[in-house]
Amino acid sequence: MSDVGRSPVRADTRQRAEFQLSQRVVVGDPGQRLRELSASEETVIGYVYPHTPIELLLAHGITPSLVGTNPNVQGGFEASLQTFSCSLTRNLFSQRASGGLLSLSGLLFASNTCDSLHNVADVWRHRFPEDKIFILTYPAARFDEDSVRFFAEELRILSESLKNAYGRPLSNDSLLTAVSLVSDFRNAAQTLYSCRLLDPSLVSYCEVARMVRDFLVAPNTDTVRQIVESAGAASRILGERGQLTTAKSLQKGLLTGTLSDIEIVVESNSPRIMVVGGMTEPQAIGSLFNGSTKFGDDVIVLDLLSLGFKMVFTPPVKLEGDPFVAIARSILGAPSEPTQEGLPARLEFLKHLLSRLIIRGLVVCEQSFCDPDQFEAPSLVNAASEVGVPSVRLPIDPELSDRARLEGRIQSFLETLEGGPK
Amino acid sequence: MTGKESGKEEKAYRPLKTQDLLQQVLFRYVLEGNAASEEGHLAWVTSGFPVEIPVAMGITATYPEQYGAVIGSQKVGPALCGFAEELGYSQELCSYARSSIGSTRKPEESPLNGLPKPQALLACNNICGTVLRWYDAISQMTGAPVFLLDTPPIEGEQQPHHLAYVHRGIARLVEFLSNTFGASLEEKRLREVAANSTKAIGLWTKSLEACKNRPSPLNCADRFMTMAPIVSMRGAEHIIEFYQALYGEVRERVSQGIGAIRNEKVRLLWDNIPPWFSIFKFFNGLAKRGVVFPADTYTHAWSGSIEGEDLFDSAATIYSNVYLNKGLQAKVDKMVELIKDYDLDGFIMFSVRSCKRYSLGQLVSKELVTRETGVPGVVIEGDMVDSRLFNEAQIQTRIDALLEMFE
Amino acid sequence: MIDSQGNVLGSHLVPTGASGAVAARRCLEELSRKSVVDATGVSTTSTGYGRSLIDFAEKSVTEITCHSIGVHNLNANIRLLIDVGGQDSKVIRIGENGRPTDFEINDKCSAGTGRFLEVMARVLEVSIDELGPLALQSDSPCSISSTCTVFAESEVVGRIGAGESSKDIAAGVHVAMASKISTLSKRVGVVTPVCVTGGVALNPAFRHYLSKHIGAELWVPDNPQLTGALGAALLSLEL
Repeated sequence: MSDVGRSPVRADTRQRAEFQLSQRVVVGDPGQRLRELSASEETVIGYVYPHTPIELLLAHGITPSLVGTNPNVQGGFEASLQTFSCSLTRNLFSQRASGGLLSLSGLLFASNTCDSLHNVADVWRHRFPEDKIFILTYPAARFDEDSVRFFAEELRILSESLKNAYGRPLSNDSLLTAVSLVSDFRNAAQTLYSCRLLDPSLVSYCEVARMVRDFLVAPNTDTVRQIVESAGAASRILGERGQLTTAKSLQKGLLTGTLSDIEIVVESNSPRIMVVGGMTEPQAIGSLFNGSTKFGDDVIVLDLLSLGFKMVFTPPVKLEGDPFVAIARSILGAPSEPTQEGLPARLEFLKHLLSRLIIRGLVVCEQSFCDPDQFEAPSLVNAASEVGVPSVRLPIDPELSDRARLEGRIQSFLETLEGGPK
Repeated sequence: MTGKESGKEEKAYRPLKTQDLLQQVLFRYVLEGNAASEEGHLAWVTSGFPVEIPVAMGITATYPEQYGAVIGSQKVGPALCGFAEELGYSQELCSYARSSIGSTRKPEESPLNGLPKPQALLACNNICGTVLRWYDAISQMTGAPVFLLDTPPIEGEQQPHHLAYVHRGIARLVEFLSNTFGASLEEKRLREVAANSTKAIGLWTKSLEACKNRPSPLNCADRFMTMAPIVSMRGAEHIIEFYQALYGEVRERVSQGIGAIRNEKVRLLWDNIPPWFSIFKFFNGLAKRGVVFPADTYTHAWSGSIEGEDLFDSAATIYSNVYLNKGLQAKVDKMVELIKDYDLDGFIMFSVRSCKRYSLGQLVSKELVTRETGVPGVVIEGDMVDSRLFNEAQIQTRIDALLEMFE
Repeated sequence: MIDSQGNVLGSHLVPTGASGAVAARRCLEELSRKSVVDATGVSTTSTGYGRSLIDFAEKSVTEITCHSIGVHNLNANIRLLIDVGGQDSKVIRIGENGRPTDFEINDKCSAGTGRFLEVMARVLEVSIDELGPLALQSDSPCSISSTCTVFAESEVVGRIGAGESSKDIAAGVHVAMASKISTLSKRVGVVTPVCVTGGVALNPAFRHYLSKHIGAELWVPDNPQLTGALGAALLSLEL
């Protein structure tokens, strides 16, 4: 990785141009961290759904690694999945069918989140019977204590399965270390998100996305260190400007979901864009914005994506009493997904963010054949329009090579913001 | 008993006498639904919902999915889906949901002027996760609150914590209905309603099982029509009469060796929801070639009864263990069982583009079913309501290829 | 190419072919020849797919903005623009200052684009120019229900085999097309007056059925394939 890529705070445009170049290389090579991992002796389990109990797997001496889409793989699913299967799962399946993902010791799927993922897990087990597949079932209802109790039991069962499969029981010491590691990551990532709301040029969106992704693919002290350093640098700069307290309040507000007592001031003409959606990968979005020539990814001041914001702004695990209950509470405390009940609350939260954070445009990502994304999108567009924020929809499909079209759509949208009423 | 219709050419299929009674039952259902809406005690319910509970609390249930079948058969699926697509809903989404959203938006363009306005939306995700998002969208449009009974998918035996979770969900359901409708639940009334449900389901199941006979007294189109009361009016007393009449007619046909189609040559299994917009044309077209469907996975899905000491536990068990909530292997097992028990020669799997829960996995289950039973099958692709996604030529070719295997 | 007053000095249409950059240079040469003004060195804005490859353009702006500005220049009353090209279709809401305020694009699926009509014309064995007039002869269009070009093609073949007349089939094809575009338009919201551009705008049957479906009259500029270029040229003027 180049020096420019490592340095999180960019001071000038030449650095930025070089950085953009390095970004293209990184984005096109999703397997690098994973290859580093598999070269090591660790037991690695791949996972798909963002709200995975990372701490639990680490406590079993297992490394959980987020499996992402690979645009270079097309086809391989045809004998097993119809074309109306969600594009994300199709791509993952194709990767496996073409001999990819073999360095993983196992795969963790989620159930009761969406129908595609659940059914594809079943198909996977039949087609690849030698793969170790684990299924974790999530509650869709927000019954609070009842859901926590249900999910805690599911986590306990998963823990048993992991122990039986790999001969490694849960270690309390490892759990403590893991909780601390994940907490440090989240804290740093939250800081960066909050700092960027005040000054997006502090750290590029792509850079934050990369560091978050790096941690999710390889949660270890290295990947935590790089994001902690970046957060530290950004905080120092804001501190010098006397804005650190505001950033901290923002962080707290975003974590608790209330921004009522926060005032932020922005340059009148900056196009402040928020990106919302489900399992669309943040670095993919960032690189699309970068490709839209003059604007770049600085215009993205916030995302509300599952693999971005929702993972990052998950409340920490508070280890008191039953650890499974603690982990369940943390995961279920994350910002709500369209796979769960609570649409009105999600829309209120969105409107709250759009208004308080002075967002000028909303980009709604819709993964092709993704039920949660496609059902939610019209409501998101309407909610944004209720608070006077225009939006554009991006149909995303990891199997199609339609970068140019997506970049064009983003550029058109930004052009409408320029020329439209302020 | 239908013999030759004088002066007309014989049709390949025999219409049911009970069809007339069915019309009356459905008419009553529509009237009751409209009345309940006006009186403020109507709930829209998903087909797998433990409807016995709201019914026991004096709430009337109406079924958007059954209305989806009506929309499909009246061939207005594309138009109504179009109204939802104009709002921004993708064509890739479930067509029951799209047509429902479309008809809620424009009831004046919908059959029967649309479904009556609900005061609550009750969704159970044992049939799929889409229902939550569908009802969320309807809630935005009508203002009616949504209640989700969460029945996470099961594999194998239902675990105690799962049962406890769903049991709690049912308790919360009662709370919700009590708050929303000012209604209360009495155990005695619930037992009555459950008993009605059980009786009707018992008679229905006997009618289904009579199709093991050769010739089969019912074709799947008959069953798709006559299942409506079990889906839409489960728990009501008057549908018991209907199913008694149906079973009576079925028994009569069996005793006289009369089949649903005149010239039964090939017996197949049907998997998935049927193409409602073509239900008679499609199945009667095959009937002309001597093809009958004595069993299907759709109509066999309504079979459990609530009974025993703890009614909430019973409901939590029944409704968590439905066909669509149990994973691929359970589906394969069920299909294998039907093929063996009903002595079937092959199967057709309809791959409904709208329905990921039902359809994803068919490419694998097709192989497994053939492997276990030795009979051939074919997968055809289409939709249950959106006729724009139905390519007749392609479908015919595949079915022809299958039928040629039996010659 | 336009002068400083915004008057058109010359225009030229050339297929992109394998290289957009080469085609663009050829276009420039033609323009210089036709208008007797040397087009090279004139301030240029590029638009459309492959716009970033045109190295002599100072600015590169999307078609959404360029069509909007171009149409606004020709008719400042237009509030909704429907552009149906060879491989995509767009609906654009034009603000009072001529800039787009909202838009929808169908660029994933060939049904609802010029490609759809090309495929059907081939099946009916007529040229693309003959397809529209043929359809207008019908007063009972066939129903073509498929939304997928490939499915629709086999549906049309089926209809021909069933003995339906070419004119009724052609009309059905246009109805299907208009229906798709109409849904796209309603997502943005139909606001009159409405303008249609793109090669398909030249098709009278398409205009007829689209107008019926969206319930509004359609205004078509004289050169509907050049509005994007006009908008791009006007943007260069602003530079």
